[in-house]
Amino acid sequence: MAHEEWLERAEIYGLSALDGDELIQFEAHLAAGCPVCEGRIRETRESLAVLARSLPPLTPPPQVKARLLHQISPEVAPSIRENTRSRWFSWGISAGAFAAAGLLITMTWSLYATRQELQRLQKDVASIQAGSILHETGIEFLSDPRAQSVHLKGLAPSPAAVGHLLWNPESRKGILITQGLPKNTPDKVYELWAIAGAEPVPVGTFSVEDKPHTLLKIPSLPHGKSFDKFAVTLEPAGGVPKPTGPMHLLGSL
Amino acid sequence: MQVSAQPINQAAYLIQQVAKQDREAFSQLYDRCSSLVFSLAMRMLKVHSDAEDLLQEVFVQVWRQASNYSEERGSPEAWIINIARSRAIDKIRSIRRMEKSFVLTDDPARAESSDNVESSAAESETRLTMNSALANLPETQRRVLELAYFDGLTQTEIAQRLAEPLGTVKTRMRSGIQRLREIVSSRAA
Repeated sequence: MAHEEWLERAEIYGLSALDGDELIQFEAHLAAGCPVCEGRIRETRESLAVLARSLPPLTPPPQVKARLLHQISPEVAPSIRENTRSRWFSWGISAGAFAAAGLLITMTWSLYATRQELQRLQKDVASIQAGSILHETGIEFLSDPRAQSVHLKGLAPSPAAVGHLLWNPESRKGILITQGLPKNTPDKVYELWAIAGAEPVPVGTFSVEDKPHTLLKIPSLPHGKSFDKFAVTLEPAGGVPKPTGPMHLLGSL
Repeated sequence: MQVSAQPINQAAYLIQQVAKQDREAFSQLYDRCSSLVFSLAMRMLKVHSDAEDLLQEVFVQVWRQASNYSEERGSPEAWIINIARSRAIDKIRSIRRMEKSFVLTDDPARAESSDNVESSAAESETRLTMNSALANLPETQRRVLELAYFDGLTQTEIAQRLAEPLGTVKTRMRSGIQRLREIVSSRAA
């Protein structure tokens, strides 16, 4: 594909209007690293911001800001600390004891906030690392001439969803990329099945979160079975040995 | 916070301070950008409580991810607007997927909902001031941009909605974006 075509897609991507195969291909192109397309997306978004600025300005209710400031604050509000301080003095407790208590409270809150932030950062790093590995795996499969591509169509529960499965029949490994599946609840997971004739074999489970796409690395599947179809169903958390839930995606080799 | 040390782009400076967990800077950034985000949220989600929730979510994300921002990524406003649009589009498309799953296409309620989107887009057009950037776009380009930008429709959905070939929709989108880019550049010059 001429790079000009990628740039055209970059503009529609910047508008968040790219979809289907074009979106999947373009995101793979971006994942491979293309600063020119990234620059075009930025330019496009910058230009489109004028549309938001053209709207008549509305003032949000003040309680939103109050809720927001409360949400981001890991510490006790200063006014509460001041009131507490007055009472401590009025009750005749020594300044030293108050300082120690205040310091303890501050340190406890600070430790709590730091721990929360650390946990969030650890999750972010794990997510980035997992995403990076999957992107590398996807590129590896795309560049392997033995790889076969299976298009999975959305069925009745998720007609707008699509899936692309890259499958290497020799190594019996693959990667599944889905788009448009609804976010699953914590008690459910999506489960991928490789189907040999009428026998479904469980491959792996995955969850759909806030990201537009989900990637699942397929481990080596057992030899001796000729898989000709792949399907995704929604199952109880942890997965099941045989499909029980509604089928969301289905595709054939 | 050292006001005298602020560089020309105050919003970018505020984001730098927010990245250092400066709550006062965060408060100032909110005062500066919340109306823009709330207006966009109301236009996209159409429900006041949803728009409030979105506004809160956007600024929590700004608080947590301010360190990811750099001026090379565009203006601060465009960065924040992009966060807001991404979140709003996720919500819109999630609702649309649920509608598709549970409501028959010939259901009168769904038809009414579709009409509401159309009329809402039309209302928006009238609200926009005539000297806005959109007023400089041909009607066909403006329509596809609004359906994508404010209603969160994809290129395929717009083609279906307007009963136009997908190629025509793509061309109109790109021409509209190009025209907006020229307008923004000329204003900046």
